[in-house]
Amino acid sequence: MNPQSAFFEESARCLKQSPLFSELAPSAIEDIITRCRRETWRRRRQLPMEETWQRFHILLSGRVRLSRSNPENGRMITLFLLGPGDPFCLFSLLDGKPHEVMLETLDDVALLSLPMDEARHWLDEHPEFNRQLLPYLGEQMCSLAGLASDLALHDTETRLARLILRHVDSSATGNDQHATPRLINDLSHEFLAEMIGSVRVVVNRQLQHWKQEGIVDAHRGHLEVEALQELARRAEEHPRKVSA
Amino acid sequence: MVEKNSCVAVYDNHLQAEEAVRRLLEKGFDAGKLSIVGKGYQREEHPIGFYNTGDRMKFWGAQGAFWGGLWGMLLGAAFFWVPGLGTVVIAGPLVSALVTALEGAAVMGGLSVLGAALYSIGIPRDSIVRYETAIKSDHYLLIVHGDQGEVERAHDVLAGGDARDVTIHLS
Repeated sequence: MNPQSAFFEESARCLKQSPLFSELAPSAIEDIITRCRRETWRRRRQLPMEETWQRFHILLSGRVRLSRSNPENGRMITLFLLGPGDPFCLFSLLDGKPHEVMLETLDDVALLSLPMDEARHWLDEHPEFNRQLLPYLGEQMCSLAGLASDLALHDTETRLARLILRHVDSSATGNDQHATPRLINDLSHEFLAEMIGSVRVVVNRQLQHWKQEGIVDAHRGHLEVEALQELARRAEEHPRKVSA
Repeated sequence: MVEKNSCVAVYDNHLQAEEAVRRLLEKGFDAGKLSIVGKGYQREEHPIGFYNTGDRMKFWGAQGAFWGGLWGMLLGAAFFWVPGLGTVVIAGPLVSALVTALEGAAVMGGLSVLGAALYSIGIPRDSIVRYETAIKSDHYLLIVHGDQGEVERAHDVLAGGDARDVTIHLS
């Protein structure tokens, strides 16, 4: 991207606010933006990662879902929900291979994109980036491990409570019972279900139940937490009832 | 129907935009898939006017040769007064998107008629605001319409030139 571009400054601002890039020197951020091209993708664009893995992408605005589905039964599981400052095709950057993942834009998104070789070249020139990349990767691995263990060990209520809490700002204090989950607060019940390996009716029923209990407020596609501590308690209980 | 993928380049002046069009044509791009948008009125250029001779529009003013040349190459031409932007001149397939937006009453809330035309070809609102600001500041937009491969190839051609900004918009 040309540093004269009207989009350059806002791209730099986005990266500086991202956990992955925030500790980098301004010159390193400007260097990667200069090597990138800017793209926008319209909402509901779906494409398999085989079409994108040869480029490294950094989201500037909007949300992207990475998911896997079973074409036999149409069921889908969301692996990651990415927001501004998050990269994707990160695993391909590391292992140089495509991965069987479907991308879907949930909003109109703007992103930076550069060829993988160019991204690796930038990484070689800025080894200090690894200090943030490694914790970020660790977080991603923990997230996948959490999803796998949730699916195996917990019932729907616990999984849904954990999902919501993962998206609540960690700075929310114990005294503050109210919170708006980031990234997921306007998603449909079907989408939430796909994030926890469930189905729409079950999530809908659970949210209605919590609403009656005053734990959440869910209306017109907007989700608010009204009783954080109680939700946290629900996230810790309810071991899965295993049927024979 | 105008394709919903595009590559949009912003130029400081018409000479740069003209050079970019020439470069794309040299590289084999279809002139029927290129649009140009710019302001058609500048204070020092009174008077300006348009007239139609046969199938050609003529532009009268300091940039007459520029627009006249483009209309010889590109599909369609239009001249609009857009609130907030002033007079805007468009050449290329974006004209039909603009006419469709007008005739279909598809003008989106909060967008000018130009904004609605840009939106209809797959450009998101945030970018439209920037492009309208660029036009207001007397810059020129060059838009390459096409499939994903074509607009990516156009990006590679245009990114190496004088463009202030080159962005790919995919639907």
